[in-house]
Amino acid sequence: MTFLRRYPLMLIGLLAGTLVTWFVTNTMFAGSAEKMTATATWQNILLVNALVGVCILLFVVELRRGAIRVLLTVIVALLLGFLVTFVFNLDAADRFTRGEFRVQVISDAAPVAGDTVDLEYNKRRGGEFNKPNVVAPVSEVAWTFAGSEGDVVSLLAYAKNRRSTVDVRVELRDAAGTTLAAATSATELQVEETFDDLVSARDAVIEGYTLPEAGVYTLYATPEEVDLGTTLSEAMSQSQLAFEALLLGPIERVNRWGVWIMDAITLILLGLSFAIVFRAQQFSLGAEGQLYFGALVSGIIALNSPHIPGVLLIPVIILASGTAGFIYGLVPGALKAYLGANELVSTLMLNVIATRFFEMVLNFQLKPPEAGYVASAKFTENAILPVIVQGTQVTVAVFLLVVVVFITWLLMRRTPLGYEIRIIGSNLRFADYGGVNSKRTIMLVMAIGGIVAGLAGMHLANGVHRQLILNISFALAFEGVVVALLARLNVLVVPFTGLLYAYLRAGAQFMERDANVSLEVVRMIQAIIILLITAEALVTFFQQRQKRADIDAKGHAVDSLEDMAPPAPSPEAARRGE
Amino acid sequence: MQENVIQGIFSAVFLAAILRVTTPILLPSLGALISEKAGVLNIGLEGMMLSAAFTGVVVSAYSQDWFGAEAGLSIGPWLGLLLGVCVSLLLSFVLALFHLDLKGDLFLSGIALNIFGSSATVAIMFELTGDRGNTSTLASLQMPFIQLPELIAEIPVIGGFFFGVFDNQSVMTWIAFVLVFVVAFVLYRTPFGMHLRAVGENPEAAESVGINVKRIRYTALLISGFFAGLGGIHMSMGYLQLFQRDMTNGRGFIALVTPSLGGGTPVGTMIASSIFGFFDALGIRIGTLEIPSQLPQSIPYFATVMALVIYALQRRISQRVSAMRTASGSTFDAAFWGAIQRISILHMLLMMVAVIGVVTGAAILSAPNGFGGAETAVPAGLLIGGASCLLFLLGLPFVRDIFRIQERWLASAGVTIISLGITLTLFLALFIELALALGVGLLLGAGVWFMIGGRVLMRGQ
Repeated sequence: MTFLRRYPLMLIGLLAGTLVTWFVTNTMFAGSAEKMTATATWQNILLVNALVGVCILLFVVELRRGAIRVLLTVIVALLLGFLVTFVFNLDAADRFTRGEFRVQVISDAAPVAGDTVDLEYNKRRGGEFNKPNVVAPVSEVAWTFAGSEGDVVSLLAYAKNRRSTVDVRVELRDAAGTTLAAATSATELQVEETFDDLVSARDAVIEGYTLPEAGVYTLYATPEEVDLGTTLSEAMSQSQLAFEALLLGPIERVNRWGVWIMDAITLILLGLSFAIVFRAQQFSLGAEGQLYFGALVSGIIALNSPHIPGVLLIPVIILASGTAGFIYGLVPGALKAYLGANELVSTLMLNVIATRFFEMVLNFQLKPPEAGYVASAKFTENAILPVIVQGTQVTVAVFLLVVVVFITWLLMRRTPLGYEIRIIGSNLRFADYGGVNSKRTIMLVMAIGGIVAGLAGMHLANGVHRQLILNISFALAFEGVVVALLARLNVLVVPFTGLLYAYLRAGAQFMERDANVSLEVVRMIQAIIILLITAEALVTFFQQRQKRADIDAKGHAVDSLEDMAPPAPSPEAARRGE
Repeated sequence: MQENVIQGIFSAVFLAAILRVTTPILLPSLGALISEKAGVLNIGLEGMMLSAAFTGVVVSAYSQDWFGAEAGLSIGPWLGLLLGVCVSLLLSFVLALFHLDLKGDLFLSGIALNIFGSSATVAIMFELTGDRGNTSTLASLQMPFIQLPELIAEIPVIGGFFFGVFDNQSVMTWIAFVLVFVVAFVLYRTPFGMHLRAVGENPEAAESVGINVKRIRYTALLISGFFAGLGGIHMSMGYLQLFQRDMTNGRGFIALVTPSLGGGTPVGTMIASSIFGFFDALGIRIGTLEIPSQLPQSIPYFATVMALVIYALQRRISQRVSAMRTASGSTFDAAFWGAIQRISILHMLLMMVAVIGVVTGAAILSAPNGFGGAETAVPAGLLIGGASCLLFLLGLPFVRDIFRIQERWLASAGVTIISLGITLTLFLALFIELALALGVGLLLGAGVWFMIGGRVLMRGQ
């Protein structure tokens, strides 16, 4: 019966997975099969994209209606993010008020000689309006020119070239300062034919004005005031540009796609680490420190064994980094289990200690003496994870990841230890009464989380950077929290949420590059996602309906822990055992 | 070199530095204390501090444009303080709203606010200055510094020292230490304080006597946001004169532990914060020695972990002793068990010293180039690490089970005296010869052991 009930769900999942695989591949190669087969190692690209599809299938099948909630949360957060981007882009219209410009008085009449004036007929003069980061920026110019009675003059004020987007207006004033004529724009005809210098209709022209008397006149030019409509439409088009880069940027080209997949591998590993630990209701944030230790150990091995063949070395490195993470996870685990030290605070402190230790070893031991900046030597070829897609850093870590996900799933759902972890997570006292050695389990769960985090460090060191650098994690650990939470701590869903989140991160990079919107906007979106996903009251109604439906269908409440709503940690739980 | 460091530690300048670096820990600690008393620990302090620090800098920098250079100089800092605290209050309101009304998890909502504070400040900074690192291009202002009258320095004996410590401190430092007593008064002498503590200890009971739990918790979170805001303002407008990306550097998290270390009282919190301030200032001071700066930089974080462990152990031992008191009734020897408890604390502290020794040894071994090359560093690291390991293992049984102190009191005394003696020797060796220092150190160690409880223990046997 259960299988039949899941059957349509499988179909939806398969459909969604296939669609996404097709869409990603199609966008990458602009829809041409020749272009794809011309790319080296295209079979592996297809394979990875198929794995992406599998992740989506798992997401749909595992979370069922919860999947809708996750998607809705992400969409709402993206909309809010768009709003934030919009607000940050409200100054986009400023580009019309600054830039290099030129002015010119054009006339066929003979120039008046002698006077000390700023402009001569038919000579260009220019400057830059509102130059940024200048003490006294130029915001208007008033330059004089001398004319005789009856001279027919045309006054031009225009952007210097196509790069300058300044939108100017021009006025003709007489000696007393009275405005005789003014213009804010040019006609198509003037731009196309009459005046060669004009670039666009934004430039201002007073054409064919006959000077009433001889004397000194003033050409006054200033950027046009930007009206509200322009401000909003500019901000809108900039935000749209930014979001286009965010949403489609990562799959435009193979190398960008590589950035996405590479980032996703790290994030999925970190997400798994948090999902395991949070399952036992342990609010350990130690993944960052464990990651640093994993990276350090694998880096040291890599640097010290240049002659061992990669086939032997890589497994050793993988094992060693996992062990390093295990040990560094064991410390807060033991402190929590046997001494009752608050794991949140202790892991945060241990993270800093690990970071400092990493910096110290890197700076004083691993850095080549002649290096100008703090980084280790590049790893030799045999210590680098083999690349499977040319032109990217997508490595065999993809397969390692598949194995890790499978083992984690096996551990959590099919072993006594996994059962104990889940029992402790739902009710510590019940676990104690039931004969679970909760102290040992708590310690182990943090250490097991550490293994996966250590592997993430290994991937960063030996797969991504190929050397040890300062700040190797780049505060990725907190992003791992979001990945785990979005997956509702379900290890089979983590790959999907990791891909999703890495997509946003990669998109953020390209958004910054293509649209000059700060990377931090995406971190704000992340904060919004966490707030929304934890706000249980927002979805109580929805969940109640889902539970009722489950009960109706099965005749009993829930058949496994994973079917329940995500553990709603109480404030008491957060403070437990401080 | 080392003598300079030691002398520097006992100077008025160093005490003044402690006060200065304690302030940004103390202020959020008070906030954490109040929120913890109400049972809603505010994890988002870090993000709130950052937001307030940034707002203060920006407002004070632009106030010179708004009010003119003259007026801006005097109004700016205070306007920055006001708006910075307002922003922090707003964030804590969001936290309260999501936790208390929308039933979000307090812990995760707090983390979200931290991420938000860290990223929003950088994003807006980038918009305003085009720089992602700091706001050095903005001409921001500082909160005023309070100059003491010269008269104080004239007071005989202590005057000069007193003047050296308290002169030229930021007004925020004064505010912080005054607020400790305000918080103490509010918590223990007002109806609101009593309600707040009641809500934290037993929300159901408080509810049943008609206290509005939700409203009290809202208020507590807002107050903690207020304190975090003040702390942030001190960071960017007193401690430094600019905003740096993520400049709070974990102080918001350290603030979460200080109340528990301080026994949950305002004055205790102040003392615990000062200990962190001491380590912070020490880290800066040791930085002048020829050792990698990363080692002293991580001292406060080590200290936090150790303090957590000591606190947890201490609580367990007190529980066990008080359970014994209940069980044995009138035959309970309070003086004897008090002595055992004190000795166990001494054991713990020495274990911590041993752990620091192990870590230092490991650090020296793993980066010998930072400690003068492999020839000197490796033996030194092995010696320090090995000796510390040995002392740790010797002390372990007595920390795990305090009854061992009673059963094998001679061994316990030996371990204590040797560990304490070596620790003191290391310190004394900076002033006098090594052999003499060792003798004096061991003697002092024995004296401390005798005074702290050994006397009672020996009589008890």
